[in-house]
Amino acid sequence: MSSLLQRPTGKRVLLMGTCLCDAFYDDVARATVEVLEHLGVSVEFPENQTCCGQPAFNSGDWIASRKVARHTAAVFAGELPVIVPSGSCAAMNFHGNPLQFEENPDVSIDSLARRTWEIMDFIYNGLGIKKWPGKFPETTRIAFHRSCHSRGTGSGEATLKLLESVENALVTPFGQAEQCCGFGGTFSVTFPHISGRMGSLKLDHILETNPDILVSGDMSCLMHLNGLAIAQGRPIKHLHAIQILRNSLP
Amino acid sequence: MIGIQPIDQYARDISDEKQHSVIDGSAAGTDKRYYVLHKDYPDPDALRKLAAAIKDHTLHHLGDYLAKAEKSLTQRGVHVHYAATDEDARQTILTILRQHNVAQLTKSKSMAAEEIHLNPFLIDNGVECLESDLGEFIIQLDGDEPSHIVKPIIHKNRRDIAKTFLREGICSDYNDDPGTITRRARVHLRAKYMEAQAGITGANFVCADTGRLVLATNEGNSRFGMAPVPLHIALVGIEKIIPEEKDLAVFLNLLGRSATGQQLTVYTEFINGPRSANQPDGPEHMHVVFMDNGRTDVLASNCKEILRCIRCGACQNVCPVYRQASGHAYRSTYGGPVGAVLSPILFGSRFPELADLPKASSLCGACNEVCPVDIPIPDLLLRLRDKAKRESIPSAGAIPMSPFATLATSPSLWRTAMTMSKAMNHLPIQVAPIKPLQDWLGQRTLPESHGGDFRKWLKNRKEVRS
Amino acid sequence: MSRSAIFAKIQSANAALKTRAAYPKYDMVLVHSLPKLEGTDLWEIFARNFSAVNGKPMDSVSQLIDFLKTNQQLHGYCDPALFDAIGSRLAAAGLIVETEYHRDRYDDYQFGITRATGAIAESGSVILDDDRTSHRLAALSPWVHVAVLERAEIHRTIPDAIAAFGDSSNIIWCTGPSKTADVEGILIEGVHGPGEQIALLVKGGC
Repeated sequence: MSSLLQRPTGKRVLLMGTCLCDAFYDDVARATVEVLEHLGVSVEFPENQTCCGQPAFNSGDWIASRKVARHTAAVFAGELPVIVPSGSCAAMNFHGNPLQFEENPDVSIDSLARRTWEIMDFIYNGLGIKKWPGKFPETTRIAFHRSCHSRGTGSGEATLKLLESVENALVTPFGQAEQCCGFGGTFSVTFPHISGRMGSLKLDHILETNPDILVSGDMSCLMHLNGLAIAQGRPIKHLHAIQILRNSLP
Repeated sequence: MIGIQPIDQYARDISDEKQHSVIDGSAAGTDKRYYVLHKDYPDPDALRKLAAAIKDHTLHHLGDYLAKAEKSLTQRGVHVHYAATDEDARQTILTILRQHNVAQLTKSKSMAAEEIHLNPFLIDNGVECLESDLGEFIIQLDGDEPSHIVKPIIHKNRRDIAKTFLREGICSDYNDDPGTITRRARVHLRAKYMEAQAGITGANFVCADTGRLVLATNEGNSRFGMAPVPLHIALVGIEKIIPEEKDLAVFLNLLGRSATGQQLTVYTEFINGPRSANQPDGPEHMHVVFMDNGRTDVLASNCKEILRCIRCGACQNVCPVYRQASGHAYRSTYGGPVGAVLSPILFGSRFPELADLPKASSLCGACNEVCPVDIPIPDLLLRLRDKAKRESIPSAGAIPMSPFATLATSPSLWRTAMTMSKAMNHLPIQVAPIKPLQDWLGQRTLPESHGGDFRKWLKNRKEVRS
Repeated sequence: MSRSAIFAKIQSANAALKTRAAYPKYDMVLVHSLPKLEGTDLWEIFARNFSAVNGKPMDSVSQLIDFLKTNQQLHGYCDPALFDAIGSRLAAAGLIVETEYHRDRYDDYQFGITRATGAIAESGSVILDDDRTSHRLAALSPWVHVAVLERAEIHRTIPDAIAAFGDSSNIIWCTGPSKTADVEGILIEGVHGPGEQIALLVKGGC
């Protein structure tokens, strides 16, 4: 964690858009840019970025995932902070990569690890914005799913505090919050039954509190939960936390 | 490779009744642990990290501490034995029992004894060996396997147990009241304690400085099992050593709270020798068998942190995969996250057969968060997935990753693929001949592709600006 | 043979370590549970925590007699060393008190009164030490176990109780009645050992 505390901050950053935003959730990446610019941060998006390499890493194919990690580290070379609208891709950079390179440490991998911030963590702890000047027109009940990859990082606390500070936002706790949504990337493909049941249980707990919006810092969790919810005939409005920050701005 | 992952299959085929027992039991365990630890400590994490540091230190100097524990025990009249393998451990115990003409004994719950299948072995060799922990007693009556480290019959309900008692002649009528079940076991087992000639236990900790073995139980069965008998044999994994007695304060405070939400288990017993001369009850002879059985291989591996484990079961309780699949899905003594790491490497020759266990995790990290000795279980699972891949062990439902790596390291190809993925919006991809994809989509609806839209927006915006 | 093989494997595994973890220095205060230690009087702290684990703290023999009579536990064992101070008063109140424990009649004893050699305020535990307490079985087989202790023997914390272990080869901490939750997680007391655990405080000198 000490290395996390020394992460660089500042008003110029590189955006790591994530493959999910690239493929499905373009508005989350847009919201990330818009919120950062609102805070006076200039955002660069390296064109050659692809994916953080997590699918291969989690499958145990570290030959493949190291290749992707090296590519990513080269694309994001330099000294600027790297901002990611995903707890899981951020954790890949600062935790997964050092793990898969532990036998053969690599300076570019270490550099990327040291500079990576999950977006909400960056706003709250990097830029020191402790209160968000946003407002909903009426009371909005938010179910906040803390994505698993934010465990042990500053992201969960940062997201909760920022969401709670939005006027008229009511973050409502739900049962068994520590439980995973069941996505886990390739896990949901190789363990379809367990993954599906985990997701359904999570949905039961969330829907029990009758939220207006389901919010998370990871679109992968939301994609999984909503994918199940639609198939089960109980769709739920879901947004990334950064979209809440942007949408609530006056 | 096509096919279904064994643990996913267990979860698919498990009865609703059994699954509910497991989910309810483990969720209650998680809640109690959380409540008690946070009520009593402002920062439980500091305690977990301290416990981890003490364990790491001990493991890194295990030879010294083990020798010290041996010396402490020997000086106090305890016979110390070593068993390199499971077979050595079984034979050592049998030899001791024969020297003392033991025909009947009771055994309190010990994961180490489970690991070497001690009961069936002793019974085959003519020694009546009765489990005295209520849960383990029921497991033994049923010829079943424990499915949880701390709550062995978490997968059973009162009706199952009442039927077993009736079938096995523990009682003459069916009664599924938990109080009645417990009373009946009490009467049955105390007669057995009195008849027995030996007691076998495990140990939760061994203090190197004084040799004191620590036994933590709630029922009082290990205390009772040893009070009327002349012989005590303790089977202990070599990783159970801690440096000093004072460190027990750290571990005992964590063990009870993590396991069952208690500050301490009801009975915490400290033993480093035969009974004293002025005490009429208790064994005159004490033997300790220190067992390796794969532990030194684990110590030499890149998953050595798993040897910190104090067998509290908190990781099982919190694990969403364990909750869905039950402990039996893990096909070895240790279930849940700890088992997914430990089993494939502790029983080294079984690695190919158990290499699927580390894959049965969404890597959510809840196990690490609750672990009283802060074992980085997700990291260890990942290292074992890497090991399985390097050893080319086939895996059901695995998706080949080299095409992905090629795509993800070819930026222009990647951008094209993103844009092309939009075409999928108009194709019924459910018909694609990919079994895992079909299974996935059978339960979930994929969002609409917006491939490349963000990049386009960014580009247009820049053009507008300039 | 096993011994040398195991030590050789440990040595070879640890020889490969780049660094070996040092023994961490720590302040014992870290393991104290401050909410459990609230208060100044050790008996009061003990009694609160002991009650929380369903133990029954008592500070008079008449209270014990009432309890045993109310619960129809009328026949038991008393450590001969405690007979004058406690057993004789139970006998005078009409209970049957034996000062010898006979294993073959283990079911006859409904209560057992033995010497506790200490207690832990923080956890609500009574301590039995083989060297200084009578029959282990008399504290185990009866439905009611009465552990007799003096105020000066109460340790404040768990670390204090560990530091006071001394040389005894067998020490046990009893934190409430014997219990299980093996059947559907439902708490049942009195599995193998006592269903009632009493701590009886006596004035010094018994």
